Amino acid sequence: MIPLQAVTLTDRILNLIGLDASTAGPLVVFGVSILAAGLVGTFVLLNTAVAGPYAKRKITAAFTDRISVNRIGPAGIGTIVVDSVRLLSKELIIPEDADRPAYDLAPILLAGSALLGFAVIPMGSGIQVADPEIGLAYVFAVASIASLGLLMAGYASNNKYSFLGGLRAVAQNIAYEIPLVLTGASVVIFAGTLRLSEIVAAQEGTLLALGPVAIPNWFAFVNPFAFALFMAANLAEVGRNPFDIPEAPTEIVAGYQTEYSSVYFVLFYLGEFIHIFLGGAIITTLFLGGPAGPVLPGIVWFTIKIWSVFLFTQWARSAVPRFRIDQLIALGWKVLLVLSLANLLLTAVIVGVIA
Amino acid sequence: MSLQDRTPVEPDVGVDEDGLDYDELEALLDGRVLDREDHVNAEGFVIRPDEVQQVLSTLKEEAGFDHCSAVTAQEYDDRFESIYHLKKFEDPTQELSVIVPTSKDNPVSESAAPVYDTADWHEREAYDLVGINYEGHPDLRRILLPETWQGHPLSERYNQTQPQVVPLREHANPLEEDHRGDGEDADTMFVNIGPHHPATHGVLHVKTVLDGEQIVDLDPDIGYLHRCEEQMCEQGTYRHQIMPYPDRWDYTPGGLLNEWAYARAAEDLADIDVPEYAQVLRTMSAELTRIAAHMLAVGTFGLDLYGDFTVIFMYAIRDREVVQNLLEDLTGQRLMFNYFRLGGVAWDLPEPREEYLDKVREFTADIPDRLEEYHNLISGNEIFQMRCVDTGILPPETAKSYGATGPVARGSGIDYDLRRDDPYGYYDELDWDVITEDGCDNYARLLVRLKEVEESAKIIRQCADLLSEWPEDDRTIQSNVPRTLRPDPDKEIYRAVEGAKGELGIYIRSDGTDKPARFKIRSPCFSNLQTLPVMSEGEYIPDMVASLGSLDIVLGEVDR
Repeated sequence: MIPLQAVTLTDRILNLIGLDASTAGPLVVFGVSILAAGLVGTFVLLNTAVAGPYAKRKITAAFTDRISVNRIGPAGIGTIVVDSVRLLSKELIIPEDADRPAYDLAPILLAGSALLGFAVIPMGSGIQVADPEIGLAYVFAVASIASLGLLMAGYASNNKYSFLGGLRAVAQNIAYEIPLVLTGASVVIFAGTLRLSEIVAAQEGTLLALGPVAIPNWFAFVNPFAFALFMAANLAEVGRNPFDIPEAPTEIVAGYQTEYSSVYFVLFYLGEFIHIFLGGAIITTLFLGGPAGPVLPGIVWFTIKIWSVFLFTQWARSAVPRFRIDQLIALGWKVLLVLSLANLLLTAVIVGVIA
Repeated sequence: MSLQDRTPVEPDVGVDEDGLDYDELEALLDGRVLDREDHVNAEGFVIRPDEVQQVLSTLKEEAGFDHCSAVTAQEYDDRFESIYHLKKFEDPTQELSVIVPTSKDNPVSESAAPVYDTADWHEREAYDLVGINYEGHPDLRRILLPETWQGHPLSERYNQTQPQVVPLREHANPLEEDHRGDGEDADTMFVNIGPHHPATHGVLHVKTVLDGEQIVDLDPDIGYLHRCEEQMCEQGTYRHQIMPYPDRWDYTPGGLLNEWAYARAAEDLADIDVPEYAQVLRTMSAELTRIAAHMLAVGTFGLDLYGDFTVIFMYAIRDREVVQNLLEDLTGQRLMFNYFRLGGVAWDLPEPREEYLDKVREFTADIPDRLEEYHNLISGNEIFQMRCVDTGILPPETAKSYGATGPVARGSGIDYDLRRDDPYGYYDELDWDVITEDGCDNYARLLVRLKEVEESAKIIRQCADLLSEWPEDDRTIQSNVPRTLRPDPDKEIYRAVEGAKGELGIYIRSDGTDKPARFKIRSPCFSNLQTLPVMSEGEYIPDMVASLGSLDIVLGEVDR
């Protein structure tokens, strides 16, 4: 069976330069694949660069009745460049008894794992680096490597606050990844496939037509309960309020990243934002019809959707208090897990009866 | 003033219609009173240093003196002296000073800590600065100065010129202490929270021992912001030089409330009258300050629970900004007001008066809406309630024993507000309520602050109305006070006002010169902070942080 969006970005570039994927030499395909990955990576990092030093501040400022950055460039947009230079030119301080290879690897692992996830996300306009059959499983697997990075950072820093933060991060991620995956599985039951392009394809069409307004067949509308569960679990997964416990500044200073400075800190910061966007991309793909949307090209819709999820996380960050660690764990295991299991079972029964 | 129904209680021993009957109290103490002194605020009973516990527990159990406001220690030419300023939560106008002289060669006095928990820290401070040893004290260590300090700076034997050189190696390195508890298998972890930590509201160092995320043991270490405020006041003249200092104790801003504490003590000491018009001005400006201070407390409490730069903090700061502008118009300053003078205030309302008063009225009219928003945003939030309800429990009896006052005490259901119970200023002419909550938890303390903002707004509004109707020929802002004030020698006074954080008391002893011989600040934060271990032990770190936030301490006032 040939999937609807089997044409990956690599194939498209190959076609563009007049080659065929089946005939081109493996080296050429490899080179072009790297190019395609680079393009997608650049796109993601571009979003992150706008989000991290600029949009996040502006959004939070709008919520909290402030003005925020407005000095450099129009509406303060030059802050992105200035802040990058500022952060990168800071001294890299490494604690004396840091566990070196782990200490250095942790930030790279965190940022890298999130970037890897984007490899299989269908971004519309034919932009998708790879489309493996196990796409969804791959995304969850890669995204959860981040927990390892957090634990490494927390342990290797030789700082008690980092240690507490690392342990909190792991406890939280385990507690919330299971509901996350289970809720994702309910979508898989609907779509009947793990391949992300097919999940997107399954959301095409109209669910309900209310006169001129057509509600699309997105899983967010088909199963809003699963959507709400997934949004909540995703907030915990990316560590934003009310679940920003691993780095709760007023409790354990900065958690696992307390001892990181300069480039390493930038990598952490970057990694967090890529994770938020990856979470947004997964939500978009699973629940919001992927890049589908009227008039505008797919990639624009995709960007709008992941930014909407980003906006939601920032809103939660500004307005919601954080849980206590024991309340958080209890909520994860006793509430979200049960609900997501119930959701999975119900979905399976309903789909089994209807289909 | 509101006439709330207060449950009638059996009058304690030594109370008659006019207040305290000191003779009966002396009889109660059964010959243990060696001598009686007359302080301006109360009589003082001189007792033997080895009978402190017996006398104090008799007074506490049988005469109802359940509030030990402060312990003042000082050195005379021939003796050391500790004064226990006792009061009743029921009626703080019933005061008694218990004076414990000790010899110079062997300054040992029995500790009051077993009777009043609050005496623990107060006696540590007396030991640290004056050098009196308290026998039977559970933990007699230095409190404000570092452990390595040589000598006791307020004693006469102290060498002021000798520099205190402490090499780095002599400083205890907290990291080198055993991280574990007793025994090899113990799995507790020692963590220094502070002195530089986002949640300590200043330079507070909390030594914590954790078992997982739970707090096993907690020891607040203060003194990082000790600036010799008391001694600076002893160097200043009563008339003008002391007044700027109180602004610097509680800078959140409790400024005008602190100034009032000094003004009240010094005015009662030197028999200065304050014109009524000035009292109204004082009352209004002080309540504006209280709103600003409570707004900051609510905002920073939000920081502790929400994380940095969240909505509640910025909203609180935004509303506080309005108060700050009003205060700036009135006093010319935004933080260090220096607006009160002995016998009145520095200047009248800014011209045009009506415009200013309209601005004040507009602000007070706005307050209920603002508070509605706060209640929607924080106190109505379910996660917020999960975090605050039933955490940081402070039972009323414990709160009393630790001398907790202000919103902390009122959050534990203790109906104690000096503005009503020991009236000063113009408060007893106005219509307002004392807020109490029976929750005894972090949530109750927050609610008390939010509701007190509303009450303050009521007071301000009434003051503004009074001020605009005040006859033009009667607007005296200062009474006639001599250029140089020299109160009679050996007069002693302890006077307190209701500061933003609680009972802010000043003890002054005059020696006939134009400067106080002893100036002691009873900081509400100092006493309130003492309750932190009670509230936090056995709880989680986040609850400790929330409790600390709900105590609303200012380290400038704790350390002085």
